[in-house]
Formats: sequence, C-alpha cells, structure tokens
Amino acid sequence: MSESNVVLNVQQLHTSFKTNSGYVQSVKDVSFQVQKGETLAIVGESGSGKSVTALSIMGLIEKPGVIEKGKIELEQVDLTKINDKEYRKLRGNDIAMIFQEPLTSLNPLFTIGNQIAEAIKLHQGLDTKQAKVNVIELLKRVGIPRAEKVYYSYPHTLSGGMRQRVMIAMALSCKPKLLIADEPTTALDVTIQAQILELMKKLKDENNTAIILITHDLGVVAEMADSVAVMYAGQIVEFADVFTIFADPKHPYTQGLLNSTPKFYEKNEVLQSIKGTVPTSNSMPIGCRFNPRCPYVTQKCLNENPSLKKLDSGRQVRCWLVEEEGETLV
Amino acid sequence: MIKFLIKRLLEFIPVLLIISFIVFTLVFVAGDPVALLLPEDASQEDIENLREALGLDRPFIVQYGTYLSGLLQGDFGKSFRYNSDALPIVLERLPATIELALSAMVVAIIIAIPMGVWSASKRNSFVDLFATGGSVLGKAMPNFWLGIMLILLFSVTLGWLPVSGRGSWMHLILPAITLGTGIAAEMTRLIRSSMLEILSQDYIRTAKSKGLRKFLVIYKHAFRNSLIPVITITALQTSTLVGGALVTETVFSWPGLGQLLIQAINTRDMAIVQASVFVIAILVILMNLIADLLYRVLDPRIKYN
Repeated sequence: MSESNVVLNVQQLHTSFKTNSGYVQSVKDVSFQVQKGETLAIVGESGSGKSVTALSIMGLIEKPGVIEKGKIELEQVDLTKINDKEYRKLRGNDIAMIFQEPLTSLNPLFTIGNQIAEAIKLHQGLDTKQAKVNVIELLKRVGIPRAEKVYYSYPHTLSGGMRQRVMIAMALSCKPKLLIADEPTTALDVTIQAQILELMKKLKDENNTAIILITHDLGVVAEMADSVAVMYAGQIVEFADVFTIFADPKHPYTQGLLNSTPKFYEKNEVLQSIKGTVPTSNSMPIGCRFNPRCPYVTQKCLNENPSLKKLDSGRQVRCWLVEEEGETLV
Repeated sequence: MIKFLIKRLLEFIPVLLIISFIVFTLVFVAGDPVALLLPEDASQEDIENLREALGLDRPFIVQYGTYLSGLLQGDFGKSFRYNSDALPIVLERLPATIELALSAMVVAIIIAIPMGVWSASKRNSFVDLFATGGSVLGKAMPNFWLGIMLILLFSVTLGWLPVSGRGSWMHLILPAITLGTGIAAEMTRLIRSSMLEILSQDYIRTAKSKGLRKFLVIYKHAFRNSLIPVITITALQTSTLVGGALVTETVFSWPGLGQLLIQAINTRDMAIVQASVFVIAILVILMNLIADLLYRVLDPRIKYN
C-alpha cells in the first residue's frame, strides 16, 4: 500500500510512569503503521503494554504517566506535538475508542441518547434535535431494536451486549479515521462476542475505518485482523500479517501463545501454558525481556536485549534465534 | 412515588414513638422541676401539693401514658416558665433556626463544592493541600470560638456587622459563617474523596475519549455522580447541624429554637425541652426523607419501591 494510505504511524513510542522508585517504562520502542481499512490486532497477556499503547494514541495517558519520546502521526500530524485543545478536536472525531467494560463505560446518570449526542453536538456542531436524528440512525445501524425508546433509556436498563453496541455507536458517531477497540468482547458472552465482531467488521467495510484491535483472544485475532503485533513486556516482539503469524510464528512467545489456544481439530489434547508471568515494569529482566520464560534461552539472551529485525515479506521479530536472518529495525 | 412517600411517612410512626419515650425518660430522670418553681422556703406540704397538681407524683408509666395521649392531640404540655402551651412557643422559634440552618448550608455549599471538586481534580497540588488543610482547620475550630473571633473582628474591631440578634440580612452573615464553616469542612472532604473515586471510573475515560472539555468532564460527568454519597451523608448530619445551631444561637443571641432549648434546660422547663427535641427529631427525619427523594431524582438506578 502507498504511504498516503497510512492513517496512523507510530514510531519509537516510549511511555513511562513515575513511581516512588523512579520512572518505569510501560511501553518501549513501539513502532507500527495502520492503513486505511486495515485491522491491526495488538495481542499479548495482561500487563504487556497494549492498553497503554492505545491510551498513548488517544492522548489519555494521565499523570504520573508521560510519553517520553516517539512519534504518533495521524495522517501526518504528530499528536505528541499538538496542544490539548487540538487533541480534543481529534478525540471522538478522528480517533475514537471502545473500551473493555461496556457495563462501566457508560455514565449511569445520563440517557443513552444524551451520551451519544454529546460527541456529535461537540464535533459536528449540530443542535439537540438534529443530533437526535443522527443518534437514532446510529443506534439502528449497530442493530439496536426500538432505537427511539433506547435513546431515552439509561445504561442500567440495557444488557452488556446492548451497551457495547451503544459504545460502538458512540465511537462511530463522527465517522473516525481510526477506531481503537480495547478488548471489546472480553466482558461479553460468546454468542454476543460473535455478533459484536460481525458488527465491527460490517461498519469497518462501510466506512473504510482503520481499526486497532487490542485483545488477548487469538480467536478474535483470526476472525478480525489483517496484521498482528504481538506485545510482550512493553515491546513488540513479533509483527506480521495474520496468516504468517498463525502459520509460522517465529518468536517463542508467539509460539507459546498459539500453543496455549485450544484447537478445534485436536480433541482431548492437553493445553500448553507459558511458564511464569509477565515481568512488572520495575522488575524487567536483563537481556531479552522474555528470557525467564523462554524454552530456548541462550547465554546471549540473558545478557543482551535483541532488536526488532525485519525479515522477508515484511515480518518483524525480536529474538536472538532469528537475529542472523534479517536487518535491524530498532 | 406517592406510594413510596406514604410508606416512608408510615415508618415515621414507630420512630416518633421511640423518640417520645426517650425524650420523656431523659427528662424524667433529669430531675424534679418543682424545686425550681417554688420559692426556696416552700414547705414540704406545698411541694407535695404542687407535685400532685402537676401529676408528678404518679408512677412513670402513667405519666408517660398521659404525655403520649397529650402528644396525639398535639398537646406537649404547658411551659412552667411561660405559663402557656409549649408547642406554639417552640414553633414560634422554629423559623429563626431554619433560617440560620439553611443559610449555613448555603455558606457550606458555596465553599465546599468548588473546593472539593477543585482539590480532587488537581490531586496533590497546592490547591489540594490548601483545601485538605483548610478543611481540617475548619473542622477543628469549635463553633463558639469561631463565632467569638468573628464578632471580635467584624463587629467590635471593624464595626461592619451587628454583634448579635436577628433582623436584617446583616445579622445573618456571621452566624451563618460560624455554623457553615464546620459543615463546609466536612463537605469538602466528602466531595473530594467522592470525586476522586468517580474520576477513576471507566465512564470518565469514555467522556474524555469523546473530546469533551475538562470542565464538562468534571462538572457534567463526575460531579453529579459524586453528589449521591455527599447528599446522603449531609442529610445524616442534620442533627450535627442542629447541635451546632444551639451553640451558634447562644453566641449570637439568635432567637431560635436552640436558644430556647438551652434556656429551657437551665430552668428545667420540661415541656419546652420535650417539644423542642421532638420538633428537632422531626426535622432530622424530614431531612433524611428529602435526601432520599433527592438522590432518587439524581440517580435513575434508584427506584421508588
């Protein structure tokens, strides 16, 4: 794809949080691009820096967090350089976000209509009456029955799935160029998950919206993503298109994640797990951050952190085992 | 909603019965008013006669029964001191106390809302330190001391405001500030902690992600949510407010219920004491009812049932 199709270009993103024992880096050296109409999945365990990456893009990192360095370009505008007022114009308008918990992400004291119309009125300058027409149209598009009634309903009267539809309607209300969905289906039951994913796909196709999908569910990745960034301990450890990731994972962590997923065709197979847990930001191991859990660990892994290497067909891997094969990116 | 109100009003009955019993018992054990009514050299026979005339020689339970049946007819007994029915005397003083309490509330709200919200939204900043420190100070200063200090400064030294009494709005300023400061301090802390909790909620992040201005995020999305616990606890503190009013009224010679009650206690004017405490109890219950109604208005999740 050509450069002009790039909606989001993240380069060398470092996000840190100030703690009593100094700054700890939650996200380090993260770089990726998202094209128009593309779905990029960011996968990884809890604590791998997925959500911090998303919030950094949204400009919602709050003190004591800070973006230390790096570029976040939305259509060639570097978001790390703009002021708060300019950022607010983009938020909810050009970049929108859907959160993990539909049950707590809506304000309990305001009607659904009020909450969706808020962004429309703000960014499109419509009055309440015009906004209401738009909101009801949106609610219908996301598959909410009796949209006129739901407009006046409060969040607690809706089910989790319905609330997530409302969140999607809210996020799409101003036709964003980029939609960030932070584990949009985690809190929902399986049948509702499928419906929500289907809905996101449909809306993406209609508007050609770029999506960053944050998840730890590889089933969702297979269903939705065009390309995949695997994050571990604040770094991208592997980046490739979805077919390559599933067919030929190079990084031991990606392999571990895939092995720990149940497969439809392997009945009675014992599921594997990755031993240990993700290190916390203030206790990062020396060398490769995955080394305490890696089955192929070598002496080199214990001493030096590998860089992200670009291999054939654009895939990128951060591992000493594949170090020799490609050119250094980061 | 009507059903809810009726249910709540019916719940008042046992509460009021219990209050009547407690009030009566306390006054009963507090001592015999006859000694105060008669001259010091009164004979034992005179004392006995008066006790008999007032029904004070009868057993406790009979006296309570008489008292209760009087209550049901709106009769709180006769004030020995004023020589007339107690209830009208108490009700006559009530508006002054309500005026003072409401003004103190207004003072408290005007101080506490901006302070609480501001300090929560700028946590650990100088503003926060100032608000938290200020609220400790406000809470630590006793009403009577603050009242006297305010009188010394604004009335005696500067001569801007009247020393005591009730009349114009000028008279109201110092007592309202005196009584309002403690409540403001408590409320500031409450709003601050409630806001801090609300500001970390997911829906606040959603509001921010829509691109709303910070002011709207704080006052539309966070503040209204933070009010629910604040209203509940403030209503529960009505009794503290009335307690504070007693002291403030005495300091400023404010002709309210508190002043009347304290005089009545000093002179063992039982009927006035009983009627006052009863009226105050009803006030407290009504405030709680109002709070109940208020947070049902604020929060659509709370239903009348």
